[in-house]
Amino acid sequence: MRLSNLILLYRVRLRMRLVQELLAIMGIAVGVALLFASQIASTSLDGSVRQVTSGIVGDMRFQLAARGPSGFDERLLGEVQRIPGVRAAAPVLEQHMTVLSASGSRSVELIGTDPHFAHLGGPLLRHFTAAQLAGQQAFALPEPIARSIGLLSLQTVNIEIGARVIQGFLGAELLESDIGALVNSPVAIAPLAYAQRLAGMPGRVTRIFVQPFAGHDREVQTELTRLAAGRLNVRPAAFDASLFDQAAGPTNQSALLFSAISALVGFLFAFNAILLTAPQRRRLVEDLRLDGYGRWAIVETLVFDALILGTVASLAGLALGDLLSLAVFHSKPGYLSFAFPVGTQRIITLRTAAIAVGGGLSAALVGVLAPLRGDVLSPLSLAPVMKPAGRARTSGFPLAGLVCLAVTTGILLAAPRAAIVGIVSLLAALLLLLPSLIREGVLVADRLQRSIRGASPYLAIIELSARANRSRSAAIAATGAIAMLGSVAIQGAHANLQRGLDRSSQDLARIADLWVTTAGPQNVLATTPFNPTATGKLSHLPGVAAVRVYRAGFLDYGNRRVWVLGPPRTATAPIPPSQLLGDDLGGVTARFRQGGWVVLSQALAAEHHVGVGQSITLPTPRPRTFRVAALSTNLGWPPGVVILNGDDYASAWASEQASAYNVMLRPGVSPGEGQREIERALGAGSGLVVQSAADREGLQRRTSRQGLGRLTQIATLVLIAAILATATAMGAMIWQRRPRLGDLKVDGFSRGVLWRALLLESALLLGIGCSVGALFGLYGALLLSHALATVTGFPVVFSLGVSTAFVSFALVTVVAVATVAVPGYLAARVRPAVIAGD
Amino acid sequence: MVELRSLVKHYRAGAGESVKAVDGVSLQVAEGELIALYGPSGSGKTTLLMLIAALLRPDSGAVVVDGREISALSDADGARYRLHELGFVRQTLNLMPGVSAIDNAALKLLATDIGSREARRRVVPLLDRLGLGERLHHRSEQLSMGERQRVMIARALSTEPKLVLADEPTGSLDTQRSREVLELLTEICRERNVAVLLVTHDTQAVAYADSAHTLCDGRIVEYEPDKQLAAAGR
Repeated sequence: MRLSNLILLYRVRLRMRLVQELLAIMGIAVGVALLFASQIASTSLDGSVRQVTSGIVGDMRFQLAARGPSGFDERLLGEVQRIPGVRAAAPVLEQHMTVLSASGSRSVELIGTDPHFAHLGGPLLRHFTAAQLAGQQAFALPEPIARSIGLLSLQTVNIEIGARVIQGFLGAELLESDIGALVNSPVAIAPLAYAQRLAGMPGRVTRIFVQPFAGHDREVQTELTRLAAGRLNVRPAAFDASLFDQAAGPTNQSALLFSAISALVGFLFAFNAILLTAPQRRRLVEDLRLDGYGRWAIVETLVFDALILGTVASLAGLALGDLLSLAVFHSKPGYLSFAFPVGTQRIITLRTAAIAVGGGLSAALVGVLAPLRGDVLSPLSLAPVMKPAGRARTSGFPLAGLVCLAVTTGILLAAPRAAIVGIVSLLAALLLLLPSLIREGVLVADRLQRSIRGASPYLAIIELSARANRSRSAAIAATGAIAMLGSVAIQGAHANLQRGLDRSSQDLARIADLWVTTAGPQNVLATTPFNPTATGKLSHLPGVAAVRVYRAGFLDYGNRRVWVLGPPRTATAPIPPSQLLGDDLGGVTARFRQGGWVVLSQALAAEHHVGVGQSITLPTPRPRTFRVAALSTNLGWPPGVVILNGDDYASAWASEQASAYNVMLRPGVSPGEGQREIERALGAGSGLVVQSAADREGLQRRTSRQGLGRLTQIATLVLIAAILATATAMGAMIWQRRPRLGDLKVDGFSRGVLWRALLLESALLLGIGCSVGALFGLYGALLLSHALATVTGFPVVFSLGVSTAFVSFALVTVVAVATVAVPGYLAARVRPAVIAGD
Repeated sequence: MVELRSLVKHYRAGAGESVKAVDGVSLQVAEGELIALYGPSGSGKTTLLMLIAALLRPDSGAVVVDGREISALSDADGARYRLHELGFVRQTLNLMPGVSAIDNAALKLLATDIGSREARRRVVPLLDRLGLGERLHHRSEQLSMGERQRVMIARALSTEPKLVLADEPTGSLDTQRSREVLELLTEICRERNVAVLLVTHDTQAVAYADSAHTLCDGRIVEYEPDKQLAAAGR
């Protein structure tokens, strides 16, 4: 068919079903938007770290990296330069620091490098060759970061670095014209010597980037490994980006899983909206075929329908997703920024848009073509042709539904990693079982209405029982049920995950009455080291019973940047009890205190093929072999955790530095009193802050909530979409009912009776659909929680979440019925004459 | 023009039963001729129309249109046949709601190689001839039932078919409008030399036919106006 004819055909038919088309567009657009926004969030996170990494490493191929924060001697640079085949080598010192100003503070990664080598690095360092900065004892900040805290170049500023507050000189602001998108990265650039001075690490560097001559990669790598001598890491230059991919993977995976479910829910909204128009389309297909349209012409017409629907919905979805990513999803998971330079730039790739649009178009094609497949392929009939007696097409639905439910159960028990398949089979089970459940529900309602006087319940039940209305009723109820399933499943899984993280935070914080750590938002996990020079002073304070040194940091282990916790040997509960996989807490704690034992997170142990009792050598600055005392969750740190006692930590890191003081107060001394006493003892400008266990727990909870922000937002959006979709679908159905309402008015039914009948019908239909959906949602939440626990290793506390399900059910049903009241009222006002005119 | 040769179509109705919907029907319709087939519900009228429209295959017998056997056409050839050689006018007025008379009438032409503008241009004289010249751009809801049926006739004739199958075309109309529609259908088909097979149980409609037959239990029997009128009166 000609394109112009297809367009005309589409245009004229659009007038017949504008409302339903808009519903379908809305459904698909919601799905596309959620997919697109969550993809943008993921690519922006990964991309920002990748940009910083490539901004530093440029054409460098390898790096010699320190295993701990204290770095290594910069004189190693000379040896590296002397390796045959090395074209150039550039030393770099990296340290976290917080720039303070009167109007706020910003945490940045201080990157110090030798200006003579900077031209070999990426765009971030190349700019640094400017003689202006190279000659100064100053650092440079990206302009947006400087402006955000009211700083201008050429001024002295306060800096928190380690446990010290010092003064530094802001020599320049880096503009977008200098460093492009990196302008949004949380970095500060300084000459190496100045950075060493700021960090208090003279003569130390944390990495040396190496560029070999062409064809000399292997020999250079071999020599670097020899130089590293098992105490430094030899990695590809851009290895940090890989580490970040691994760290952000579980978060991105769970967000993608939730987004995919949301997209599926969105698609099913659309599918149901399209189902509402199926009788019209079916009649049209029949007419067109009768008029001589061939099957291919019909398929062309339907595909054109689907392409227009898919394109418009995808474009709307991209716009909505863009807004979502700006307004809602654009929150970085703060906990990852403790270990990686996560920027604030939004990165949208062609692939991201293509995935979202592809999803939208596929949904539209399936949605339009699937229900009419039979009408296009089967022989055309002008009248109901007599067919051999047989069972109805739907008679096998309940059995198929039970099979799908069994598949979901199988996945839950045996393969929770395939959660998305499990959710699809759960949705299929819901859709297959729903018609029978509606029938049963209507039968019960019918029995109840017999004991009630009044025409409204009678009319409502008659409408719901009518065979001709069954498909439409099932489509409406399915919309509510699917929305409820998605919403309850996501909210339930999210709540279980949040509960697990909260319990982990509680266990971690409550090992001390007070925590003394370095200041700054970067230190929620207490990983910034400082010299524990105040131990004696604090121990002698009258309110203090004991001061213990707590150590923690990050360790690059394989392709993971793991969180290593070194609680004091004498801590009361050094192993978080709720996070231990196994029940021998007493034995594990005893081995922990004994030394030489570690607790590993499950995924980490699995990756290194070690079990309880087996040995593992950690790639610490001074490599040491430990035995595995027990396995744990990942405590909310996606790459995994290692717990060992503080003394073992000091030995393996060859450093007595602390990451926190764990202070135990004397009986009768309140945390507030103890806090004030310690703050007085430390004095102003110490760079250390004092927190009660409750404050610290609250801070960790807030951080984990920030990390789960996207999941919370997705759950809320699905609930809103559920309300909108069910209300709109019901409204559209009621509006189409006007001729029959006019007919009933001719028979003497009053407006009030009809309105109440419509509301009752809506309430019954949505009540049945949403309650069934909520029940299936609880099952979905169980499945998703298992998937999260298995796939990501997050601490998950399983709970049925009945109250959450009930609140969602009540919210969707009440709001949707209340919304339907308006079109119901207007429809009930129809004049009896309508039927004569139509 | 159209020749039905001993057409037979039976349906199975379960438990080994068989319903003889069309049972050995033979009939001829010449160019420009209007033949009425009178029959009550269940007499086999619709099945017969489906056989002629190549929507069903007969169990035996043949449908020959312009010397071509159409009973065994493939699905695609059947569609082409309906598009170019056949027009269908139905009792149910399946005009697309919210769509103008001209676009509804041009719908069939869109399946041909003609562009939408040309399709619209072509149906204008037809609609004019059917008395809808002033109503071209009125939406279907704004048209009376008689006008809607005339739009359906325009759609059926838009591809200049040789044969029109009219299935109870006045079933939804009152007496006055039935007469108007039948007069127009008869006139316009004669002008264009189009054969018409009118299936009806309206004795008034039969009066417009060149000849009439009665279909009873799938068989053609002689049309007896007095008997039919008496039956209708009962």
